[in-house]
Amino acid sequence: MKFKTIAVTCSALMMLSGGTAVMAYDGTNCEAPGNCWEAKPGFPEKIKGSKYDPKHSEKELNKQQEALNAMEKRNAQRVANFKKTGNWEY
Amino acid sequence: MRETHLNRWSRLGTALAVSSALGLVSGAAMANQKLVELQQNNENWVMQGKDFSGTHYSTQTQINKKNVNRLRPSWSFSTGVLNGHEGAPLVVDGTMYIHTPFPNNTFAIDLDEPGVIKWEHKPKQDPAARAVACCDVVNRGLAYWPGDEKTPAMIVKSQLDGHVVALNAETGEVHWKVENADISVGQTETAAPFVAKDLVIQGSSGAELGVRGYVTAYDIHTGEMAWRWYATGPDSDIGLHKDFNSENPHYGQKGLGTKTWEDNAWKIGGGTNWGWYAYDPDLNMFYYGSGNPAPWNETMRPGDNKWTMTIWGRDLDTGLAKFGYQKTPHDEWDYAGVNVMMLSEQKDKNGKMRKLLTHPDRNGIIYTLDRETGDLVSANKMDDTANWVKKVDLETGLPIRDPEYSTRMGHRSRDICPSAMGFHNQGFDSYDPERELFYLGLNHLCMDWEPFMLPYRAGQFFVGANVWSYPGPKGDRQNGIGSGQVKAYNAITGEFAWEKMEKFSVWGGTMATKGGLVFYGTLDGFIKARDADNGDLLWKFKLPSGAIGHPMTYTHNGTQYVAINYGVGGWPAVGLVFDLNDPSAGLGAVGAFKELAKNTQMGGGVMVFAIDGKSPYDDLSVGEYEM
Repeated sequence: MKFKTIAVTCSALMMLSGGTAVMAYDGTNCEAPGNCWEAKPGFPEKIKGSKYDPKHSEKELNKQQEALNAMEKRNAQRVANFKKTGNWEY
Repeated sequence: MRETHLNRWSRLGTALAVSSALGLVSGAAMANQKLVELQQNNENWVMQGKDFSGTHYSTQTQINKKNVNRLRPSWSFSTGVLNGHEGAPLVVDGTMYIHTPFPNNTFAIDLDEPGVIKWEHKPKQDPAARAVACCDVVNRGLAYWPGDEKTPAMIVKSQLDGHVVALNAETGEVHWKVENADISVGQTETAAPFVAKDLVIQGSSGAELGVRGYVTAYDIHTGEMAWRWYATGPDSDIGLHKDFNSENPHYGQKGLGTKTWEDNAWKIGGGTNWGWYAYDPDLNMFYYGSGNPAPWNETMRPGDNKWTMTIWGRDLDTGLAKFGYQKTPHDEWDYAGVNVMMLSEQKDKNGKMRKLLTHPDRNGIIYTLDRETGDLVSANKMDDTANWVKKVDLETGLPIRDPEYSTRMGHRSRDICPSAMGFHNQGFDSYDPERELFYLGLNHLCMDWEPFMLPYRAGQFFVGANVWSYPGPKGDRQNGIGSGQVKAYNAITGEFAWEKMEKFSVWGGTMATKGGLVFYGTLDGFIKARDADNGDLLWKFKLPSGAIGHPMTYTHNGTQYVAINYGVGGWPAVGLVFDLNDPSAGLGAVGAFKELAKNTQMGGGVMVFAIDGKSPYDDLSVGEYEM
């Protein structure tokens, strides 16, 4: 119900603005519940390929998870040893 | 480095591990009950928030409105460490446990003779950890677990280098030590661990280096990871309960941890959770806030950036989220919502008794939710100068933004209130259940903001914005003062019972007592007591250095004491600590607190007060050499 209210309100506003999302972004024009972002006037919907493309390296993006996975593995080995011996070895 | 510890319980060996697994529920419940009893006993201050609810409220009355002006120093303890001392000491069964910022030393002090250190734990850390700490090398304190028939009582600590360590509370010996963050990819630990049942919950830090936030639980007995959930990414990583947000589907439900990001930006999307936790044993749910998306430059991350900036209600045993309410979708100002969660039971405007959660957010709004369902009960500006948002629509939960104060590439936005440091930051505030008032220690800061592009490299700063902070409209911007406030707030009526300006931020939060008092420390080094009913200033004392931690109180041998950490630092004092002068340095803090160095200098320790300065050393024989 609440989302329906948002959607109706947004549709009305869209009509008033000529059907385009050129209004200044105020965060209430929702595509779906919990998904209300829209590009600001003059900015692209997608930044990939635009002048704002940060050109992320997938290799760099994966480093955090690789580090966490490695720590989890080392911790699990420490815990297993602790359970077996009663000694905590780091 | 290789560390070993001969567990004195080791004779029980594997048999205990098995029985631990089988008897987890009953054993955990017993430990939880013991922890609750310790919370209720005024001789203790057993957790950072005083109790599971994070009320930061003591029923002690020995120090009260009539005699607080006789409060005098009883004793003090220098930690030997400079930098910012956030958090507060713990007191359990006659022992005070004191923590420090990096190098994260821990001391146990016997309250009968506080000049003698019972034990200390001084970890060896990679000094490189300092270089990836965003905002000084702070630490927000220790946690305590009371022990059971299998495992001795523990002090649990986090280290800047990413370790979580459980120490035998009696001896200081390492019981277990796990890696929870890797500084080589920018992950650090500054948050205090939180203990409930037999679990240690630990947050994460490093969003200014693009760290994707995560919350982890460890079994107190063994250090074994029970669960880990993230702030962003696939639902299976975030840990959504099957009924997630079923009571409030308009908050958003499934798939948004990836849909609201472009491509794989969620992998470096921030949402770290370096603030405070609260726990409701009846609901078996715990609560915390995830922080800002990364980078600060909003143009680089299209989307609502779920689930950064979110108030989480999760099941303790599984960690699965029952609800999540994102306060600042697509943050544009670094309003990292990790702030304190305070639980109360109050009647709402319709007279219905409800289990509530109140959260003074960095974005200048103080939110109150039904902590069982996540329903939004109230959302009010903590100061009427907050201008990025016109209001929060209680029906939709959405903030209605004022585009005039939005930020974007190629534009310097001016006079945005609050500043990135927020109207409320990491302070631990308090709730007086008799007065039904929340006492808020606040910043009064606004800012200019100008984004810039930068690449992501793991382990390097990933901010992308220049910020200039300064006192808000009610302060003295020209002279750099008037950057703090203290207020008393009623979450049901939305009204403020009183409000007072401060020369500098009240960074560390407040403590309330049944004696009708509100205590807090100030950045320029005062501890103050105000009348809880009208805010009148009743007492103050100049500490050796600025205070960014929160006060606590305990009774020992029939005397009520008030204690507070001193040691200026943290984000607001990075200019002072690191001798910076560019007003935009320190992520905008240097300009905001340019006058601070004229009011205080670095230090580090604890000061303890009592009426007339009553102290264990009133007995002159205490601590003397005896033949």
